[in-house]
Amino acid sequence: MLPGIKRLAPFEWEVPIGTVPGMRVPGRFFLSDELAKTLEDGAVQQLANVATMPGIIKNSLAMPDIHWGYGFPIGGVAAFSIEDGVISPGGVGFDINCGVRILTTPLQEKDLKKKRELIERLFNAVPTGVGAKSTLRLSYKELESMLTGGARWAVRQGFGMESDLLHCEEQGAMGGADPGAVSAKARQRGMPQSGTLGAGNHFLEIQAVREIFHEKAAGSCGLFPGQICIMIHCGSRGLGHQVCTEHLRVLEGATKKYGIILPDRQLACAPILSPEGKAYFGAMAASANYAWANRQVIMHMVRQVFSEMFDIPYEEMTLVYDVAHNVAKMEEHIVDGRRMKVCVHRKGATRAFGPGAPDLPREYVSLGQPVIIPGSMGTSSFLLHGTQEAMVRTFGSTCHGSGRIMSRTKAKKALSGQEVKESLAAEGIIVRAPHDGAIADEAPGVYKPSDEVVRVVDSAGISRLIARFVPLGVIKG
Amino acid sequence: MRLRKNLIALMSFEELEHTADIRIRVEAATLEELFSEAAQALMTIMYGSISPGNIRRHVEMDADDIISLIQEFLSEILFISEVEDLVFSGAEVRIAGNNLIADLTGEPFSKMKHLGGREVKGISYSDLSIGRERDSYILEVIFDV
Repeated sequence: MLPGIKRLAPFEWEVPIGTVPGMRVPGRFFLSDELAKTLEDGAVQQLANVATMPGIIKNSLAMPDIHWGYGFPIGGVAAFSIEDGVISPGGVGFDINCGVRILTTPLQEKDLKKKRELIERLFNAVPTGVGAKSTLRLSYKELESMLTGGARWAVRQGFGMESDLLHCEEQGAMGGADPGAVSAKARQRGMPQSGTLGAGNHFLEIQAVREIFHEKAAGSCGLFPGQICIMIHCGSRGLGHQVCTEHLRVLEGATKKYGIILPDRQLACAPILSPEGKAYFGAMAASANYAWANRQVIMHMVRQVFSEMFDIPYEEMTLVYDVAHNVAKMEEHIVDGRRMKVCVHRKGATRAFGPGAPDLPREYVSLGQPVIIPGSMGTSSFLLHGTQEAMVRTFGSTCHGSGRIMSRTKAKKALSGQEVKESLAAEGIIVRAPHDGAIADEAPGVYKPSDEVVRVVDSAGISRLIARFVPLGVIKG
Repeated sequence: MRLRKNLIALMSFEELEHTADIRIRVEAATLEELFSEAAQALMTIMYGSISPGNIRRHVEMDADDIISLIQEFLSEILFISEVEDLVFSGAEVRIAGNNLIADLTGEPFSKMKHLGGREVKGISYSDLSIGRERDSYILEVIFDV
């Protein structure tokens, strides 16, 4: 670990001012001794770089899935003052509103006799992988509505139910979206990709509820032991990637214009209230809405397959919740005893609002916001809930996944896609992907153990465990 | 000749260690070749293998500096490839100052042929560098995947 890093509590560490020149606030991250073994200096350096950005409040933060990314570290969280702070695509990433949702079914593990057939039908229903095209034919006007309406647009088009919207962060549509700031090129990429899963770490997984840690909370979420659920993980596809690329270029210019000195060009930023900052926020919110619509459309396809194959009513498959883990949002937080509006960047981190948060549906008000932590292929996923502790210490944020520990080059040398597939099959997990390379890249061993990551956030109190899910079948892009 | 060209394309870059994304190093004798090799590297990563084709595209761009120029050039190739379903295997590049003109050649994307790759989301500015080592130009770049 880099010199100077101090342990503050069993799971909390501080990166002091001065670790890189120009830090305005200390860095702070959450990690166990076990996870500290794989902490990269590059990730800590990136955490410290974020602390140099103008208007950052309290700390540059990282969750226990911290790893080396670009711009912010993955697992990074930072809040900026609206008046004198900045907004940066480097704190959101190329895949704007990459996120995850979990859908319940009334089925139990024993009902899943034709698992291979189910996987095949889902694989055929949801366009997946590099070059996959949407079955939707969007007009220019419809895309525009999707960019402002998000999941709400999708539900109006018949892809889901009104109640789904209450179970999405921002009710599936972020305010402040400005389709005018989304270029023709971004739209060109977005049009044929709505309702496609994408590739890389994105997936669609059939899971079973294996362990319940908090019975009352699990009940509120509609979960029972042995229940079949479906997890969907994807983002804003090429549209969001293009928005990031183009606004990064604009903000590069803005960084110079406003005289901001940065240690990494990927942190290019502009004052939140500047024309460049506002344009990025508007385009980012529109991309986030595209992603919510996208996950809503995919969930509709999944419900249709389950409905037909198992003869279960569509409306009996309820959405537990949908979270974004690459996004910047305007939120109110209490800072030094004073309620203030701040811009919270979460890059590979999940919002984890505590009980009573205004954005929550009735059934979660006393519990806190559901938080979904996907595992890697073959490892457990978890449902947690947000806490008051998170509101105080992390601007209502927690981890987003397990976090990689092995590079893709090493992963490929270690095991072939075929070998990974066979070893998972031996555990009863079916993997379906367009090609085996996609499987080796994302094999379970390349990630930090997901149970250790959630143990840390649970122990640190920034979210609390509700249930654990095990994978039964995975579709990888 | 075809095979040789292909082999050269495959050997012209190496993947460096990076935990989450793909970090590559490209080496070439001239700046123009460096850009051309980088384009081929991007396509090889996205589509597994690339082979010559007779479809042509022309791109021109200006940037503030050479780092922005390579970032914008690769971002543009990524864009054209995705929206037009094209897999480029060659790029004839001319650079004057921070201005670039390139003629790209390639073939249509085929699901059967180009299934060995990984989706690249964007070209990162983090750790993006172009330097000189002896008689060569060296590029290091991270692709977000």
